[in-house]
Amino acid sequence: MIQVENLVFQYPGNDGPTLKGLDFSIAKGEIFGFLGPSGAGKSTAQKVLYKILEGYKGQVNIDGKNLSEWNNSYFERIGVGFELPNHYLKLTGKENLELFAAFYPNGKKHNSAELFEMVDLQDAMDKPVETYSKGMKMRLNFIRAIQHDPDILFFDEPTTGLDPVNAHKIKQHILDLKNQGKTIFVTTHSMETADGICDRVSFIVDGKLVLTDTPRNLKSSYGKEAVTVDLKGGKTEEFPLKDLGVNPQFLDFIKQGEVKRIHTLEATLEEVFIRVTGKSLDHE
Amino acid sequence: MKKILKLAFTDFKLIFRDPSLKSFLVLPVIMFALIIWAVPPLLEKYDFLIPYLSLFLVVAVIENTQMFCFINTMVLIDEKESEVAKVYGVVPLSKLEYIVSRFLIPYLFTVVLNLILLFIQNICELSLVSILLISFLAALVVPVYALAVNSVVQNRMQGMVYVKAFNMLVLIPIAAFFVPEKFVHLFGIFPTHWVFQAIDNATQNLPVGLFAAVGFIFFLVLLWVVTRIFIRKHFA
Repeated sequence: MIQVENLVFQYPGNDGPTLKGLDFSIAKGEIFGFLGPSGAGKSTAQKVLYKILEGYKGQVNIDGKNLSEWNNSYFERIGVGFELPNHYLKLTGKENLELFAAFYPNGKKHNSAELFEMVDLQDAMDKPVETYSKGMKMRLNFIRAIQHDPDILFFDEPTTGLDPVNAHKIKQHILDLKNQGKTIFVTTHSMETADGICDRVSFIVDGKLVLTDTPRNLKSSYGKEAVTVDLKGGKTEEFPLKDLGVNPQFLDFIKQGEVKRIHTLEATLEEVFIRVTGKSLDHE
Repeated sequence: MKKILKLAFTDFKLIFRDPSLKSFLVLPVIMFALIIWAVPPLLEKYDFLIPYLSLFLVVAVIENTQMFCFINTMVLIDEKESEVAKVYGVVPLSKLEYIVSRFLIPYLFTVVLNLILLFIQNICELSLVSILLISFLAALVVPVYALAVNSVVQNRMQGMVYVKAFNMLVLIPIAAFFVPEKFVHLFGIFPTHWVFQAIDNATQNLPVGLFAAVGFIFFLVLLWVVTRIFIRKHFA
Protein backbone atom coordinates (compact mmCIF):
# COMPACT_ATOMS: atom_id res chain seq x y z
CA MET A 1 0.00 0.00 0.00
CA ILE A 2 2.69 2.51 1.07
CA GLN A 3 6.35 2.08 0.10
CA VAL A 4 8.98 4.59 1.11
CA GLU A 5 12.59 4.34 -0.02
CA ASN A 6 15.46 6.56 1.05
CA LEU A 7 13.20 9.46 2.03
CA VAL A 8 15.17 12.62 2.72
CA PHE A 9 13.60 15.94 3.62
CA GLN A 10 15.15 19.23 4.63
CA TYR A 11 13.13 22.25 5.74
CA PRO A 12 14.15 25.43 3.88
CA GLY A 13 16.60 27.40 5.98
CA ASN A 14 17.64 24.42 8.09
CA ASP A 15 21.29 23.37 8.22
CA GLY A 16 20.64 19.70 7.69
CA PRO A 17 17.87 17.30 6.73
CA THR A 18 15.12 16.39 9.21
CA LEU A 19 14.59 13.01 7.53
CA LYS A 20 17.80 11.20 6.67
CA GLY A 21 16.95 8.36 4.32
CA LEU A 22 13.92 6.53 5.68
CA ASP A 23 12.95 3.13 4.29
CA PHE A 24 9.69 1.51 5.31
CA SER A 25 6.53 0.03 3.92
CA ILE A 26 2.99 -0.34 5.23
CA ALA A 27 0.76 -3.15 4.04
CA LYS A 28 -2.97 -2.78 3.40
CA GLY A 29 -4.89 -3.29 6.62
CA GLU A 30 -1.83 -2.74 8.80
CA ILE A 31 -1.34 -0.28 11.65
CA PHE A 32 2.21 0.96 11.43
CA GLY A 33 3.69 3.26 14.04
CA PHE A 34 6.57 5.66 14.28
CA LEU A 35 7.73 5.73 17.86
CA GLY A 36 10.17 8.42 18.82
CA PRO A 37 10.79 11.51 20.89
CA SER A 38 9.64 15.01 19.93
CA GLY A 39 11.63 16.43 17.05
CA ALA A 40 12.69 13.03 15.72
CA GLY A 41 10.94 13.56 12.38
CA LYS A 42 7.74 11.55 12.96
CA SER A 43 5.30 14.27 11.93
CA THR A 44 7.55 15.45 9.10
CA ALA A 45 7.47 11.97 7.57
CA GLN A 46 3.67 11.97 7.76
CA LYS A 47 3.47 15.44 6.24
CA VAL A 48 5.47 14.25 3.24
CA LEU A 49 3.09 11.33 2.85
CA TYR A 50 -0.02 13.46 2.98
CA LYS A 51 1.53 15.93 0.54
CA ILE A 52 1.77 18.98 2.76
CA LEU A 53 5.54 19.04 2.35
CA GLU A 54 7.07 19.01 -1.08
CA GLY A 55 10.68 18.98 -2.21
CA TYR A 56 11.60 15.67 -0.66
CA LYS A 57 14.14 13.25 -2.11
CA GLY A 58 13.64 9.52 -2.45
CA GLN A 59 10.79 7.36 -3.58
CA VAL A 60 7.28 7.36 -2.13
CA ASN A 61 4.71 5.05 -3.72
CA ILE A 62 1.07 4.76 -2.77
CA ASP A 63 -0.66 1.74 -4.30
CA GLY A 64 2.28 1.40 -6.69
CA LYS A 65 1.94 4.95 -7.97
CA ASN A 66 4.47 7.65 -7.25
CA LEU A 67 3.13 10.14 -4.72
CA SER A 68 3.90 13.08 -7.02
CA GLU A 69 1.72 11.55 -9.73
CA TRP A 70 -1.36 11.50 -7.51
CA ASN A 71 -3.72 14.41 -8.14
CA ASN A 72 -6.43 15.75 -5.82
CA SER A 73 -8.15 12.36 -5.83
CA TYR A 74 -5.42 11.26 -3.39
CA PHE A 75 -7.05 13.40 -0.71
CA GLU A 76 -10.33 11.52 -1.14
CA ARG A 77 -8.47 8.34 -0.19
CA ILE A 78 -6.70 9.66 2.90
CA GLY A 79 -7.79 10.98 6.26
CA VAL A 80 -5.56 12.97 8.58
CA GLY A 81 -5.90 13.27 12.34
CA PHE A 82 -3.69 16.19 13.32
CA GLU A 83 -1.64 16.32 16.50
CA LEU A 84 -3.37 19.46 17.79
CA PRO A 85 -7.02 20.45 17.61
CA ASN A 86 -7.64 22.68 14.61
CA HIS A 87 -11.21 23.86 14.15
CA TYR A 88 -13.14 27.06 13.57
CA LEU A 89 -13.91 28.06 17.15
CA LYS A 90 -16.92 30.20 16.24
CA LEU A 91 -18.60 27.33 14.39
CA THR A 92 -20.33 24.42 16.09
CA GLY A 93 -18.82 20.96 16.02
CA LYS A 94 -21.40 19.90 13.46
CA GLU A 95 -20.76 22.94 11.26
CA ASN A 96 -17.03 22.23 11.35
CA LEU A 97 -17.57 18.62 10.36
CA GLU A 98 -20.05 19.43 7.62
CA LEU A 99 -17.86 22.15 6.14
CA PHE A 100 -15.04 19.72 5.45
CA ALA A 101 -17.45 16.93 4.49
CA ALA A 102 -18.64 19.13 1.62
CA PHE A 103 -15.28 18.70 -0.13
CA TYR A 104 -15.74 14.93 -0.55
CA PRO A 105 -18.00 13.00 -2.93
CA ASN A 106 -21.29 11.93 -1.36
CA GLY A 107 -21.19 8.14 -1.75
CA LYS A 108 -19.10 6.94 1.20
CA LYS A 109 -19.61 9.64 3.81
CA HIS A 110 -20.61 8.65 7.34
CA ASN A 111 -23.62 10.20 9.01
CA SER A 112 -22.37 13.09 11.14
CA ALA A 113 -24.74 12.41 14.06
CA GLU A 114 -23.48 8.82 14.26
CA LEU A 115 -19.89 10.03 14.28
CA PHE A 116 -20.57 12.44 17.14
CA GLU A 117 -22.26 9.64 19.04
CA MET A 118 -19.34 7.32 18.39
CA VAL A 119 -17.01 9.63 20.33
CA ASP A 120 -19.61 10.70 22.93
CA LEU A 121 -19.95 14.22 21.57
CA GLN A 122 -23.63 14.01 20.62
CA ASP A 123 -24.64 16.54 23.30
CA ALA A 124 -22.00 19.02 22.12
CA MET A 125 -22.42 18.80 18.36
CA ASP A 126 -24.53 21.97 18.15
CA LYS A 127 -22.33 23.98 20.50
CA PRO A 128 -19.54 26.28 19.32
CA VAL A 129 -16.16 24.58 19.38
CA GLU A 130 -14.81 27.42 21.53
CA THR A 131 -16.78 25.84 24.40
CA TYR A 132 -15.12 22.42 23.93
CA SER A 133 -12.33 21.04 26.12
CA LYS A 134 -9.08 19.98 24.46
CA GLY A 135 -10.12 16.34 24.67
CA MET A 136 -13.42 17.09 22.94
CA LYS A 137 -11.62 18.98 20.18
CA MET A 138 -9.26 16.02 19.71
CA ARG A 139 -12.24 13.68 19.36
CA LEU A 140 -13.65 16.07 16.78
CA ASN A 141 -10.27 15.87 14.99
CA PHE A 142 -10.64 12.11 14.95
CA ILE A 143 -14.12 11.97 13.45
CA ARG A 144 -13.23 14.63 10.88
CA ALA A 145 -10.37 12.40 9.71
CA ILE A 146 -12.60 9.37 9.20
CA GLN A 147 -15.89 10.97 8.09
CA HIS A 148 -15.33 10.32 4.36
CA ASP A 149 -14.37 6.66 4.93
CA PRO A 150 -10.78 6.94 3.63
CA ASP A 151 -8.62 3.89 2.80
CA ILE A 152 -5.47 5.33 4.36
CA LEU A 153 -5.37 7.12 7.69
CA PHE A 154 -2.65 9.20 9.25
CA PHE A 155 -2.90 9.85 12.97
CA ASP A 156 -0.38 12.13 14.61
CA GLU A 157 -0.29 11.47 18.36
CA PRO A 158 -3.94 10.30 18.35
CA THR A 159 -4.29 10.02 22.13
CA THR A 160 -2.64 13.32 23.08
CA GLY A 161 -4.86 15.44 25.30
CA LEU A 162 -7.33 12.64 25.98
CA ASP A 163 -8.24 11.23 29.39
CA PRO A 164 -7.50 7.50 29.83
CA VAL A 165 -11.10 6.45 29.11
CA ASN A 166 -11.33 8.39 25.86
CA ALA A 167 -7.77 7.45 24.89
CA HIS A 168 -8.80 3.81 25.24
CA LYS A 169 -11.93 4.40 23.14
CA ILE A 170 -9.97 6.11 20.38
CA LYS A 171 -7.45 3.25 20.33
CA GLN A 172 -10.37 0.83 20.06
CA HIS A 173 -11.83 2.83 17.15
CA ILE A 174 -8.46 2.72 15.41
CA LEU A 175 -8.39 -1.06 15.82
CA ASP A 176 -11.93 -1.23 14.41
CA LEU A 177 -10.75 0.74 11.39
CA LYS A 178 -7.92 -1.75 10.89
CA ASN A 179 -10.48 -4.57 11.01
CA GLN A 180 -12.36 -2.79 8.23
CA GLY A 181 -9.18 -3.05 6.11
CA LYS A 182 -7.93 0.50 6.53
CA THR A 183 -4.21 1.17 6.29
CA ILE A 184 -3.13 3.25 9.25
CA PHE A 185 0.07 5.19 9.93
CA VAL A 186 0.38 6.41 13.50
CA THR A 187 3.07 8.57 15.06
CA THR A 188 3.39 8.63 18.78
CA HIS A 189 5.77 9.07 21.63
CA SER A 190 3.42 7.05 23.82
CA MET A 191 4.73 3.53 24.31
CA GLU A 192 1.32 2.45 25.53
CA THR A 193 -0.43 3.65 22.35
CA ALA A 194 2.17 2.01 20.10
CA ASP A 195 2.05 -1.22 22.04
CA GLY A 196 -1.73 -1.25 22.18
CA ILE A 197 -2.57 -0.73 18.53
CA CYS A 198 0.41 -1.11 16.20
CA ASP A 199 1.10 -4.24 14.17
CA ARG A 200 4.64 -2.99 13.62
CA VAL A 201 6.59 -0.06 14.96
CA SER A 202 9.69 1.75 13.82
CA PHE A 203 11.92 3.59 16.25
CA ILE A 204 12.82 6.96 14.81
CA VAL A 205 15.58 9.10 16.27
CA ASP A 206 17.16 12.20 14.71
CA GLY A 207 15.51 11.53 11.36
CA LYS A 208 16.68 7.93 11.07
CA LEU A 209 14.85 4.64 11.54
CA VAL A 210 16.77 2.58 14.02
CA LEU A 211 14.69 -0.57 14.24
CA THR A 212 11.41 -1.94 12.86
CA ASP A 213 9.51 -4.94 14.19
CA THR A 214 6.29 -6.03 15.87
CA PRO A 215 5.89 -4.77 19.46
CA ARG A 216 5.70 -8.41 20.62
CA ASN A 217 9.01 -9.36 18.98
CA LEU A 218 10.73 -6.25 20.26
CA LYS A 219 9.57 -6.81 23.80
CA SER A 220 10.48 -10.48 23.86
CA SER A 221 13.82 -10.18 22.08
CA TYR A 222 15.00 -7.43 24.42
CA GLY A 223 13.49 -8.97 27.52
CA LYS A 224 14.22 -12.18 29.37
CA GLU A 225 12.39 -15.38 28.43
CA ALA A 226 11.42 -16.10 31.99
CA VAL A 227 8.65 -15.63 34.53
CA THR A 228 8.78 -14.33 38.04
CA VAL A 229 6.46 -15.93 40.58
CA ASP A 230 5.51 -13.96 43.71
CA LEU A 231 3.95 -15.85 46.60
CA LYS A 232 1.93 -14.35 49.42
CA GLY A 233 4.38 -13.94 52.24
CA GLY A 234 7.04 -12.39 50.06
CA LYS A 235 8.82 -15.35 48.45
CA THR A 236 9.80 -14.65 44.83
CA GLU A 237 11.56 -16.81 42.28
CA GLU A 238 12.39 -16.68 38.60
CA PHE A 239 11.95 -19.60 36.16
CA PRO A 240 12.82 -19.97 32.46
CA LEU A 241 9.80 -19.97 30.11
CA LYS A 242 11.13 -23.00 28.27
CA ASP A 243 9.33 -26.17 29.45
CA LEU A 244 7.76 -24.20 32.28
CA GLY A 245 4.80 -26.59 32.53
CA VAL A 246 7.07 -29.58 33.25
CA ASN A 247 9.70 -27.73 35.30
CA PRO A 248 9.69 -29.56 38.71
CA GLN A 249 11.21 -26.55 40.59
CA PHE A 250 8.44 -24.30 39.26
CA LEU A 251 5.71 -26.83 40.08
CA ASP A 252 7.14 -27.30 43.58
CA PHE A 253 7.42 -23.58 44.16
CA ILE A 254 3.83 -22.76 43.30
CA LYS A 255 2.69 -25.42 45.77
CA GLN A 256 4.61 -23.73 48.62
CA GLY A 257 2.03 -21.02 49.13
CA GLU A 258 -0.71 -18.94 47.57
CA VAL A 259 0.44 -17.45 44.26
CA LYS A 260 0.14 -13.67 44.35
CA ARG A 261 1.44 -12.92 40.87
CA ILE A 262 3.14 -14.54 37.88
CA HIS A 263 4.59 -12.20 35.30
CA THR A 264 6.81 -12.51 32.27
CA LEU A 265 10.08 -10.62 32.11
CA GLU A 266 9.66 -9.22 28.62
CA ALA A 267 10.85 -5.64 28.23
CA THR A 268 8.44 -2.76 27.76
CA LEU A 269 8.63 -0.93 24.45
CA GLU A 270 10.05 2.06 26.26
CA GLU A 271 12.85 -0.05 27.73
CA VAL A 272 13.60 -1.47 24.30
CA PHE A 273 13.61 2.02 22.84
CA ILE A 274 16.06 3.27 25.44
CA ARG A 275 18.33 0.25 25.03
CA VAL A 276 18.35 0.49 21.23
CA THR A 277 18.62 4.24 20.83
CA GLY A 278 20.21 5.34 24.07
CA LYS A 279 17.50 8.00 24.31
CA SER A 280 14.34 8.43 26.28
CA LEU A 281 10.94 8.86 24.60
CA ASP A 282 10.43 12.08 26.54
CA HIS A 283 13.64 13.49 25.10
CA GLU A 284 12.96 16.94 23.58
CA MET B 1 -19.17 25.00 -7.37
CA LYS B 2 -20.83 23.46 -4.29
CA LYS B 3 -17.45 23.42 -2.52
CA ILE B 4 -16.78 27.05 -3.40
CA LEU B 5 -20.19 28.24 -2.18
CA LYS B 6 -19.94 26.20 1.02
CA LEU B 7 -16.67 27.85 1.95
CA ALA B 8 -17.86 31.32 0.96
CA PHE B 9 -21.00 30.82 3.05
CA THR B 10 -18.87 29.69 6.00
CA ASP B 11 -16.83 32.89 5.74
CA PHE B 12 -20.00 34.92 6.20
CA LYS B 13 -20.95 32.85 9.25
CA LEU B 14 -17.50 33.53 10.71
CA ILE B 15 -17.82 37.25 10.01
CA PHE B 16 -21.27 37.54 11.59
CA ARG B 17 -20.19 35.61 14.70
CA ASP B 18 -17.14 37.82 15.30
CA PRO B 19 -18.15 41.23 16.68
CA SER B 20 -14.94 42.94 15.55
CA LEU B 21 -15.34 41.72 11.97
CA LYS B 22 -19.08 42.35 11.91
CA SER B 23 -18.58 45.98 12.86
CA PHE B 24 -16.50 46.51 9.71
CA LEU B 25 -19.57 45.81 7.58
CA VAL B 26 -20.84 49.33 8.31
CA LEU B 27 -17.77 50.95 6.75
CA PRO B 28 -19.26 51.28 3.22
CA VAL B 29 -22.48 52.75 4.64
CA ILE B 30 -20.44 55.46 6.36
CA MET B 31 -18.54 56.05 3.13
CA PHE B 32 -21.78 56.38 1.12
CA ALA B 33 -23.20 58.82 3.67
CA LEU B 34 -20.06 60.98 3.55
CA ILE B 35 -19.99 61.01 -0.24
CA ILE B 36 -23.69 61.89 -0.55
CA TRP B 37 -24.16 64.30 2.33
CA ALA B 38 -20.78 65.61 3.50
CA VAL B 39 -18.63 66.13 0.40
CA PRO B 40 -21.00 68.18 -1.85
CA PRO B 41 -21.61 70.92 0.76
CA LEU B 42 -17.87 71.09 1.39
CA LEU B 43 -17.15 71.57 -2.30
CA GLU B 44 -19.86 74.21 -2.49
CA LYS B 45 -18.50 76.11 0.46
CA TYR B 46 -14.77 75.86 -0.28
CA ASP B 47 -13.96 76.58 -3.95
CA PHE B 48 -10.28 75.72 -3.51
CA LEU B 49 -11.26 72.06 -3.03
CA ILE B 50 -12.72 71.73 -6.53
CA PRO B 51 -9.39 70.89 -8.26
CA TYR B 52 -9.07 68.05 -5.77
CA LEU B 53 -12.49 66.52 -6.20
CA SER B 54 -10.96 63.43 -7.82
CA LEU B 55 -9.11 62.92 -4.54
CA PHE B 56 -12.40 62.59 -2.67
CA LEU B 57 -13.40 59.83 -5.06
CA VAL B 58 -10.00 58.17 -4.88
CA VAL B 59 -10.18 57.99 -1.09
CA ALA B 60 -13.82 56.87 -1.16
CA VAL B 61 -13.16 54.08 -3.67
CA ILE B 62 -10.07 52.79 -1.87
CA GLU B 63 -11.74 52.93 1.54
CA ASN B 64 -14.64 51.01 0.02
CA THR B 65 -12.24 48.16 -0.67
CA GLN B 66 -10.83 48.23 2.87
CA MET B 67 -13.81 46.48 4.45
CA PHE B 68 -13.15 43.15 2.77
CA CYS B 69 -9.37 43.73 2.82
CA PHE B 70 -9.52 43.76 6.61
CA ILE B 71 -12.18 41.09 7.03
CA ASN B 72 -10.58 38.61 4.62
CA THR B 73 -7.13 39.24 6.06
CA MET B 74 -8.35 38.53 9.58
CA VAL B 75 -10.34 35.43 8.61
CA LEU B 76 -7.25 33.97 6.97
CA ILE B 77 -4.97 34.92 9.88
CA ASP B 78 -7.37 33.25 12.32
CA GLU B 79 -7.39 30.19 10.11
CA LYS B 80 -3.60 30.06 10.18
CA GLU B 81 -3.34 30.78 13.89
CA SER B 82 -5.87 28.09 14.79
CA GLU B 83 -4.14 25.71 12.30
CA VAL B 84 -7.41 25.11 10.43
CA ALA B 85 -5.43 26.07 7.32
CA LYS B 86 -3.63 22.72 7.56
CA VAL B 87 -6.92 20.89 7.08
CA TYR B 88 -7.41 22.61 3.71
CA GLY B 89 -4.07 21.13 2.70
CA VAL B 90 -5.41 17.58 3.00
CA VAL B 91 -8.88 17.82 1.48
CA PRO B 92 -9.75 17.34 -2.20
CA LEU B 93 -9.99 21.06 -2.84
CA SER B 94 -7.41 22.46 -5.24
CA LYS B 95 -5.49 25.52 -4.12
CA LEU B 96 -7.07 27.46 -6.99
CA GLU B 97 -10.57 26.46 -5.81
CA TYR B 98 -9.58 27.54 -2.32
CA ILE B 99 -8.43 30.98 -3.49
CA VAL B 100 -11.50 31.44 -5.69
CA SER B 101 -13.86 30.38 -2.89
CA ARG B 102 -12.23 32.77 -0.46
CA PHE B 103 -12.13 35.81 -2.75
CA LEU B 104 -14.73 35.57 -5.50
CA ILE B 105 -17.66 36.70 -3.34
CA PRO B 106 -15.72 39.43 -1.45
CA TYR B 107 -14.35 40.65 -4.81
CA LEU B 108 -17.80 40.79 -6.39
CA PHE B 109 -19.24 42.43 -3.28
CA THR B 110 -16.55 45.10 -3.44
CA VAL B 111 -17.25 45.63 -7.13
CA VAL B 112 -20.92 46.15 -6.30
CA LEU B 113 -20.05 48.54 -3.46
CA ASN B 114 -17.86 50.54 -5.85
CA LEU B 115 -20.61 50.58 -8.48
CA ILE B 116 -23.10 51.85 -5.90
CA LEU B 117 -20.64 54.47 -4.67
CA LEU B 118 -19.77 55.74 -8.14
CA PHE B 119 -23.42 55.80 -9.23
CA ILE B 120 -24.79 57.56 -6.16
CA GLN B 121 -22.04 60.16 -5.82
CA ASN B 122 -23.05 63.53 -7.21
CA ILE B 123 -19.75 65.36 -7.09
CA CYS B 124 -18.86 64.71 -10.74
CA GLU B 125 -20.18 63.10 -13.91
CA LEU B 126 -18.69 59.72 -14.75
CA SER B 127 -19.27 57.60 -17.84
CA LEU B 128 -20.69 54.10 -17.47
CA VAL B 129 -17.53 52.57 -18.95
CA SER B 130 -15.35 54.46 -16.46
CA ILE B 131 -17.54 53.39 -13.56
CA LEU B 132 -17.37 49.74 -14.61
CA LEU B 133 -13.61 49.74 -15.23
CA ILE B 134 -12.81 51.54 -11.97
CA SER B 135 -15.13 49.30 -9.95
CA PHE B 136 -13.69 46.05 -11.25
CA LEU B 137 -10.10 47.33 -11.10
CA ALA B 138 -10.21 48.78 -7.58
CA ALA B 139 -11.82 45.65 -6.13
CA LEU B 140 -8.69 43.69 -7.07
CA VAL B 141 -7.04 45.36 -4.07
CA VAL B 142 -9.00 42.95 -1.84
CA PRO B 143 -7.40 39.60 -2.82
CA VAL B 144 -3.95 41.09 -3.38
CA TYR B 145 -3.99 42.83 0.01
CA ALA B 146 -5.31 39.86 2.02
CA LEU B 147 -3.03 37.33 0.33
CA ALA B 148 0.01 39.60 0.65
CA VAL B 149 -0.52 40.22 4.38
CA ASN B 150 -1.13 36.52 4.96
CA SER B 151 2.03 35.62 3.07
CA VAL B 152 4.14 37.38 5.70
CA VAL B 153 2.32 37.20 9.03
CA GLN B 154 2.02 34.33 11.49
CA ASN B 155 -0.55 35.63 13.98
CA ARG B 156 -3.19 38.25 14.69
CA MET B 157 -0.79 40.67 16.42
CA GLN B 158 1.56 40.72 13.44
CA GLY B 159 -1.49 40.94 11.24
CA MET B 160 -2.68 44.17 12.87
CA VAL B 161 0.74 45.75 12.34
CA TYR B 162 0.89 44.74 8.69
CA VAL B 163 -2.70 45.84 8.10
CA LYS B 164 -1.73 49.33 9.24
CA ALA B 165 1.34 49.28 7.00
CA PHE B 166 -0.64 48.03 3.99
CA ASN B 167 -3.33 50.67 4.59
CA MET B 168 -0.62 53.27 4.16
CA LEU B 169 0.85 51.51 1.14
CA VAL B 170 -2.41 51.58 -0.79
CA LEU B 171 -2.77 55.30 -0.15
CA ILE B 172 0.82 56.36 -0.90
CA PRO B 173 0.11 57.01 -4.63
CA ILE B 174 -2.15 59.90 -3.56
CA ALA B 175 1.15 61.78 -3.35
CA ALA B 176 1.25 61.67 -7.17
CA PHE B 177 -1.48 64.36 -7.17
CA PHE B 178 0.90 66.79 -5.48
CA VAL B 179 4.10 66.35 -7.49
CA PRO B 180 5.13 67.88 -10.84
CA GLU B 181 3.64 66.18 -13.89
CA LYS B 182 6.90 64.50 -14.93
CA PHE B 183 7.18 62.66 -11.58
CA VAL B 184 3.57 61.45 -11.40
CA HIS B 185 4.17 57.96 -12.77
CA LEU B 186 7.08 57.30 -10.45
CA PHE B 187 4.31 56.16 -8.12
CA GLY B 188 3.43 53.52 -10.71
CA ILE B 189 5.36 50.98 -8.65
CA PHE B 190 2.30 50.97 -6.38
CA PRO B 191 -0.59 49.15 -8.06
CA THR B 192 -3.22 51.50 -6.63
CA HIS B 193 -1.55 54.38 -8.50
CA TRP B 194 -3.20 53.13 -11.71
CA VAL B 195 -6.59 53.03 -10.03
CA PHE B 196 -6.12 56.59 -8.80
CA GLN B 197 -5.00 57.84 -12.21
CA ALA B 198 -7.96 56.13 -13.86
CA ILE B 199 -10.32 57.87 -11.40
CA ASP B 200 -8.58 61.20 -11.99
CA ASN B 201 -9.03 60.86 -15.75
CA ALA B 202 -12.63 59.75 -15.32
CA THR B 203 -13.48 62.87 -13.30
CA GLN B 204 -12.08 65.00 -16.15
CA ASN B 205 -13.93 63.02 -18.82
CA LEU B 206 -10.63 61.75 -20.21
CA PRO B 207 -10.17 58.14 -21.37
CA VAL B 208 -9.42 55.67 -18.55
CA GLY B 209 -8.70 52.62 -20.73
CA LEU B 210 -4.90 52.85 -20.70
CA PHE B 211 -4.56 53.33 -16.94
CA ALA B 212 -7.14 50.64 -16.31
CA ALA B 213 -5.32 48.20 -18.63
CA VAL B 214 -1.96 48.82 -16.93
CA GLY B 215 -3.72 48.49 -13.56
CA PHE B 216 -5.41 45.19 -14.46
CA ILE B 217 -2.13 43.70 -15.73
CA PHE B 218 -0.24 44.95 -12.66
CA PHE B 219 -2.84 43.62 -10.22
CA LEU B 220 -3.17 40.26 -11.97
CA VAL B 221 0.60 39.71 -12.05
CA LEU B 222 0.80 40.70 -8.38
CA LEU B 223 -2.12 38.42 -7.59
CA TRP B 224 -0.33 35.52 -9.27
CA VAL B 225 2.88 36.21 -7.32
CA VAL B 226 1.25 36.60 -3.89
CA THR B 227 -0.98 33.58 -4.51
CA ARG B 228 2.09 31.42 -5.10
CA ILE B 229 3.78 32.67 -1.93
CA PHE B 230 0.56 32.34 0.06
CA ILE B 231 -0.04 28.75 -1.07
CA ARG B 232 3.51 27.79 -0.10
CA LYS B 233 3.12 29.22 3.39
CA HIS B 234 -0.52 28.96 4.40
CA PHE B 235 -1.15 25.21 4.45
CA ALA B 236 2.13 23.87 5.86
